[in-house]
Amino acid sequence: MRARFLSILAYVGAGITLLVAVCVPFVLINGFSNVVGSLGLHLNPEYTGGTVARTIQRDGYRIEVYQPVRPRMLQRTEPFVQIAFEPADALPAHVSEDIDLNGDGRPDVRVSFAVLADANAKMHGDVTALDGRYVSLVNVADESFSRMVVRADNRVVVRVPVR
Amino acid sequence: MAESSSTIRASVVARPPAFRSLGWSALLTLPMALWALLMFTPVFRGAGHDRQIAAALTIAFTTVLFFLMMRTGETYRWRRIFFVAVGFLFPIGFIASLIAERGSMSIPLSRMVAGDTPFCFMVTPSLILPAAFARTVIFPGAIMPSATNPHSIALMIGLWFAMTLVLGKAWCSYACFFGGIEEGFAAIPKRRRLHRFVTKYGAILRLIPWAILVFVVLASAALFEPVYCMWMCPFKTVTEFPAVRNVETAVQFGVFIALFFGLVVALPLLTKKRTQCGFFCPFGAFQSIFNKINLFEIRFDREKCVDCTLCQTNCPTVALSKESIKEGKTLLNCMKCGACVDVCKKDAAVWHLKGTPVAVKPERARLLFLYGAWAMATMFGGSILANSIVTMIHWIPGK
Repeated sequence: MRARFLSILAYVGAGITLLVAVCVPFVLINGFSNVVGSLGLHLNPEYTGGTVARTIQRDGYRIEVYQPVRPRMLQRTEPFVQIAFEPADALPAHVSEDIDLNGDGRPDVRVSFAVLADANAKMHGDVTALDGRYVSLVNVADESFSRMVVRADNRVVVRVPVR
Repeated sequence: MAESSSTIRASVVARPPAFRSLGWSALLTLPMALWALLMFTPVFRGAGHDRQIAAALTIAFTTVLFFLMMRTGETYRWRRIFFVAVGFLFPIGFIASLIAERGSMSIPLSRMVAGDTPFCFMVTPSLILPAAFARTVIFPGAIMPSATNPHSIALMIGLWFAMTLVLGKAWCSYACFFGGIEEGFAAIPKRRRLHRFVTKYGAILRLIPWAILVFVVLASAALFEPVYCMWMCPFKTVTEFPAVRNVETAVQFGVFIALFFGLVVALPLLTKKRTQCGFFCPFGAFQSIFNKINLFEIRFDREKCVDCTLCQTNCPTVALSKESIKEGKTLLNCMKCGACVDVCKKDAAVWHLKGTPVAVKPERARLLFLYGAWAMATMFGGSILANSIVTMIHWIPGK
């Protein structure tokens, strides 16, 4: 009797598995994707640059200054601050900006780079530290996640190491 | 129990060619043919001729293989043809799309910062601890699909989880587009070498993927980076890899190449085993856990079994031991490829639905499993095949 009951249960389970298989492309992929999307997860700030602290508006473009990103646990990335210039296609051919990173009203770094016509060309730029808490970078491109001047989609992302 | 050289050399061909009549085989194939048509219906509604040709070829390919499974009663041989095709064609379509998009297989930091890295399911176990304790995803992609990255993290995890509910560990023999590469290389030699070594140390070798799984999960959580992707994935060699820009990234690239040619090419050619899957892949170990909740398995009818160990010899991932065969079971890492069932001359190795008596209506269990597994294979692997065929159509001069 028990064996028969188990067999019936097994075939019901197999039927449900087949039903799940049929539902995968039509319902389940999107359903599970939405569940993952609704978990409130965020990408590692090492990749995104973290949270925007404030936005500086310029003529035709804006500069987003991010909060400093500090490594967690044994993370190998050195601390950095991200500055994003966007839209990249509205930037002048050469950018040189003094930027206040910590919001104290005084410039902390001078960022300068040339905006290349070819959006896929490798960019280079300089960061001059005006405050001892930041690290100067000379002719930097994409050395590491904390030292870079790169074009990412329609933005120019600059990352300055923090001491 | 002694294994003669002829036993060791035996290939996975044991059944008579006509297991089932043409009519019955066609009838049983009909649902899969309709499913394949359904999967590619959008292509026939509006896509270009190249995509329609690719879809038609893919439908024909998957349907014929399923028909042959029904007709011959063999699973492994026909599944392997599909799986190897997906494994070898996936890099073609994927690399072509990378070259078209960014001009290189390497991914520069700028693309990672932009969230344009396509998500790979292999990283899934590494994401669990940082997501659970820091609500952070340690992969440089996009969480939800975007115009520049349709293969988002949420979508790919949703796809993997949905398919895993159906397949369990059979993911590794019906869905993983990497496993087909080494299965292809393992199919080439006629004779298997290092057989004694693999048999003698099988118990230890089987533990390595679990050890690597524990290591990558803990190391990824501690370092807050996908350690397996950054340092250990052999398949970076045929997909994408961090751009070489310093000594560290050069070493990473060297490791990827060494692991690929060692575990995916050389050792499968020597052993006729899926050595990367069986002795290295942490995702495979992770996927084994889902065998516990999957209803389908392979069992051994002890009344018929003569302990010839032909099944153990032919198992591609060392998922059988003498002890497990004596208990009438496979080990947890069995990926339900069907090699042992097809090779067994005594019909002792059988497909089984958990909860039912062993070796009673095993073909019914096989059919129930195959309909779900082949539906997933057609949906996932089929789209990979079609995409790669489109790429190759574009290579034809004048196209």
